[in-house]
Amino acid sequence: MSARFAASNKVAVVGYAHSQVTRRAGQPLGALAVDTARAAIADAGLRLEQIDGFVSSSLLPSAGGQAAEDGVSIVSSAWLSQHLGATPRYVAGFDGIGQITGSMAIAVNAVATGAADYVVFHRALHNPAGRYHANPMREARGLQQWTAPQGFFGPLAMIALPHNEYLQRFGASRESMAAVVVEARKNGARIPWSFWHDRPLTVGEYLSAPMLFDPVCRYDCDIPVDGVAAFVLTSAERAKDLPHRPVYIAGYAAGTPTRRRLPLHWPLDDIVEVGAETARRLWAHAGVSVGEVDLPQVYDGFSLFVWLWLEVLGLCPRGEAHRFVEFGGIDSDCPGGIPALSGGGALGNGRMHGIPQMLECYLQLARRAGERQREGATIGLACHSSPHFGGAVVYSAEAF
Amino acid sequence: MTERPVPVPDESSAPFWSAAAEHVLTVARCAQCGQFTMPPDAVCPHCHTSDPRFEFTPVSGRGTVRSWTVARQAFLPGFGDDLPFVLVDVELVEQKDLRMIGRLLDGVDADLHIGAAVILGFEDLAPGVAVPAFELL
Repeated sequence: MSARFAASNKVAVVGYAHSQVTRRAGQPLGALAVDTARAAIADAGLRLEQIDGFVSSSLLPSAGGQAAEDGVSIVSSAWLSQHLGATPRYVAGFDGIGQITGSMAIAVNAVATGAADYVVFHRALHNPAGRYHANPMREARGLQQWTAPQGFFGPLAMIALPHNEYLQRFGASRESMAAVVVEARKNGARIPWSFWHDRPLTVGEYLSAPMLFDPVCRYDCDIPVDGVAAFVLTSAERAKDLPHRPVYIAGYAAGTPTRRRLPLHWPLDDIVEVGAETARRLWAHAGVSVGEVDLPQVYDGFSLFVWLWLEVLGLCPRGEAHRFVEFGGIDSDCPGGIPALSGGGALGNGRMHGIPQMLECYLQLARRAGERQREGATIGLACHSSPHFGGAVVYSAEAF
Repeated sequence: MTERPVPVPDESSAPFWSAAAEHVLTVARCAQCGQFTMPPDAVCPHCHTSDPRFEFTPVSGRGTVRSWTVARQAFLPGFGDDLPFVLVDVELVEQKDLRMIGRLLDGVDADLHIGAAVILGFEDLAPGVAVPAFELL
């Protein structure tokens, strides 16, 4: 049995739409999702009647205990399909971590197996009112009883532990942390729909920001936003008749943590060891090697992930990513730089999960990136979440 | 009375919190393979038995720091007055990679480094409710 994906390059992205990314959208999230999905279907040169599949992930990623209300704070595929007035054959959602890569795998499989011919894939992110992660919990039940009474709670504490572990072990500095965020914001400032459009960040601004959970400051975290992205997928065969150049999905892989931990306990070694295994399976699945990827888009919802993805993918040696980035290794404007955050990422767009990474792969490989078009990009890679829970999808401009 | 969230013991944890109230740290130990697990689970994560019959076994409370952070914001009630405070990721000496997370009671100026030795302490939150924490040795 080959490790190569049997449907490698047999499914393609054929159109997209992306809303403005704002702190609070001027319309309900569900309405924004309907408008964005309609625009994506039109962009692909299709009519609603042709859409027979809907796939997404709909997690509201806050620790604040806000209600997940479909159409209001989340938008599921079932909700979207119903409110578009569609009559799909196939509707599915992904509920693990690594939402974008996980749900893309479901969408690709649906097209490859014929469960659906034209799939609308979407992600709708919401910024609920009030403090994003504040939780009024007075009693800690279930798994929370092992950590919350001790004061270990929420994603900032979660990421601060491995981030500090990395700094201590490899001698990384806050200046090297700044380099990650400045690169993301430089690229995000060039994206018209980004929350941070025209607002790059300087090293000085980064270094003067107060700590939240040492060594993490606000700029190491993507900002919560309202925003929706939608893509249309179909088979490579059907894609030939559509207006835009198709971008093929070569393969994908996701991580599965091997060790059980306390809630939100993400030790550095867990992330890197499982992430390296995820990368190994990814290359086999997609039929490419790291050297063939000219547009790797690493995930950056927390800035630490940039270093860890660069290392697990083999783009730089273990423990070296902080220096690699600080000395221009991912400078998207430098001819020798790896454009790992050229799409601005989550730090440069807002909390759109792995959408900026996926969209940059699509726009560049479809030759639709406009003024930002990079010459000669052929193989893109879009990561989402932590290397040990999340995953990555490989995109190709050509079917190979 | 604390405003901090207090643990609500359940079938899987009642012996742990009873011992903690007496300032004794216990860890769930699988009756089949003898390995420690924090927290207990329906299946032993080491030998994968579906009948682990965990026993909460007293441990030394000694360990080493694997990482730490200084919390400067509180997302839970009752921690606001304690800001800033230190959280430590500790590997207990009883078993490789047996990890706990708790507050370091020495304060934010403590001289921390990876591998620093710590010993268990307890915070009494309410009558009959104590949660594990750590102090530098």
